[in-house]
Amino acid sequence: MINTNHKIEFFPEKCVGCQLCYKACFVDVIRWDSENRKPVFKYVEDCEHCFYCQSVCKKEAIKVVPDYASEHLLQSFSRYA
Amino acid sequence: MEYKKTAVSCDILVVGGGIGGLSCAVSIKERIPGADVLVIEKQTAGYSGKANKGGGVLQYFDLDRVKPEEFLGFHVNAIGAFLGDQELMLRYVSMNHEMLDKLSSWGVNLPKEPDGNYHVMPTGPMTAMICVDLDITLKVRRQAEKLGVRFMDKTAMTDILVTDEKASGAVAFSILDGECYVISAKKIVLATGSQNYRIGSMWSSGRGDGIAAAYRAGAEMRNAEFGNFAQLVKVKSHNEIVFGENYMYNAKGEYITANFLKHRESDINSNAIREWYLQMTSGNGPVHLDFGETQQEEGALERLWNRPYGRKFRELNDSAGAAVDKDFEVCPMFIGEQSPVKVDNGMQTTIDGLYAIGDVSYSGSALPGAVPAPPGRNRGSGILNAVFAALVCAESIEKKGVGDKRPAINDEQVQCCISKLYAPLEREKGYASKEVIALIQRAMAPVEQSVYMKRERMEKALEAVYEAKKMAENMSASDTHELMSCIEAQAMVLSAEMQYRVSLMREESRGWFLREDYPETDNENWLKWIIVKNSGGEMTFSTEDVPVEKWPVKPVN
Repeated sequence: MINTNHKIEFFPEKCVGCQLCYKACFVDVIRWDSENRKPVFKYVEDCEHCFYCQSVCKKEAIKVVPDYASEHLLQSFSRYA
Repeated sequence: MEYKKTAVSCDILVVGGGIGGLSCAVSIKERIPGADVLVIEKQTAGYSGKANKGGGVLQYFDLDRVKPEEFLGFHVNAIGAFLGDQELMLRYVSMNHEMLDKLSSWGVNLPKEPDGNYHVMPTGPMTAMICVDLDITLKVRRQAEKLGVRFMDKTAMTDILVTDEKASGAVAFSILDGECYVISAKKIVLATGSQNYRIGSMWSSGRGDGIAAAYRAGAEMRNAEFGNFAQLVKVKSHNEIVFGENYMYNAKGEYITANFLKHRESDINSNAIREWYLQMTSGNGPVHLDFGETQQEEGALERLWNRPYGRKFRELNDSAGAAVDKDFEVCPMFIGEQSPVKVDNGMQTTIDGLYAIGDVSYSGSALPGAVPAPPGRNRGSGILNAVFAALVCAESIEKKGVGDKRPAINDEQVQCCISKLYAPLEREKGYASKEVIALIQRAMAPVEQSVYMKRERMEKALEAVYEAKKMAENMSASDTHELMSCIEAQAMVLSAEMQYRVSLMREESRGWFLREDYPETDNENWLKWIIVKNSGGEMTFSTEDVPVEKWPVKPVN
């Protein structure tokens, strides 16, 4: 998927700086701010809504809110374009 | 802007930190403890790849009940359509328990019965499966670290270096700060996954950059035309529905599965995709699934999967999907799974010292025959194929010997790769990589172009691919994230061009490969593999006869 409109909600007060979300993101949406020991959601438009970052976060500091309508299957019938 | 350049060296360079690359690194260290093994991974090894994002299913063969030759007979006839390497398939089945025991010894939790046997779920008369938790790759990374494997994460390989027809190293860069690494190695193992064009979510890590690097280095490709996997998905959430092809109904309420399926098969067939297209074009769409009473039964199976790590991951996906899926309307999602890097039975490519394992070389190994990469009609074979290829590759490297010294690296070649690599960052104006990718996606995704094929439709798609190819020569990037996307866009252009040019050559239908204009299988002319090669910048094609005469299962004419 490209140019999606998924949202990632982040609750910094819950984050303990474990880096698991940063490691789990396989599409480089999440970068790491070493100074503040917090994730930076830098390329959210590339999010694939895999929920991996949310799954590995033991402190529930992340919530992925998918916008499925922003993903396109690109079939030829307008219903699925 | 000048980026820092650092020289790195190792004995064996493994590119890709998914289940294949990690298993290979571990297996090499088990066989050759003194070898300096380095794994580089574009994101984070142990978290990347597909093994930890799908069903966590391992194919299981009860070898006391089903002989490898029996499964081979079924596979060659029903799935591989005589295009598979039967010797390799026999070895894959025979090594099933060895692979499971290896994974278990590396710390992967394979569920067991109280009597100590694996907890196995039958899936058909010949096959069964074992469900593992989705931390499988993390466990193997930990084992690799224990054995002294070195890791460089967030490091993207862009080119393979070849000296005197031998693999000598690779050029890579940090996706975080752009630092360039020139890596010299005695052997290189590519484990970079398949080409999936960034269309399907869980398949999105496979962007074909390893395929493209191998192609540019001069490695041959085989079976590139079987890179057109598609799956039925719910139209709103795009969540796939495994085995949904058994329950298809059109808008008139007719059971359309009966039009293409006489009995339940091992997995989805391209005929299901054709049926959807035919229903839609004849005004009988949309297509829905109706599971009847079986829905509850399949839900019950899901409850048996007691996998704490993966459960949350699945639940989050399922619950978010359920919020938008109001019914069971389905359509195909093009996935791809092109995996064409040609390897011999020791997983070596046609370049000496360059190996390729897992989804980068599944079709290229010829193991599966006329079907796209896993799950290509053989559920549970994805993870185990990667482990199989990893073990075979490690054995093959040990047999050949790692070698005493690293081949010299050609500085001119390195400079050429580096200037091409950073060119999009130097270019002030140019196409965005996503413009190129969008065009490629529109060429690949419509299933009447890529799955239910016809000459005119493929030629139209190929025109779009050529347009994207021109644009790809003139891309610009503003940072290293975009630079990586440019490299992936180039790889997608290459895969798409190969896909259509080779598909136009194969004038028949065989296995998954389906042409409207050539509906019959043609054993007289097409019991052949199509080989693609980069010859001085030109894509060239040849064919090789499939040596069925030397294998046990032969076609009956």
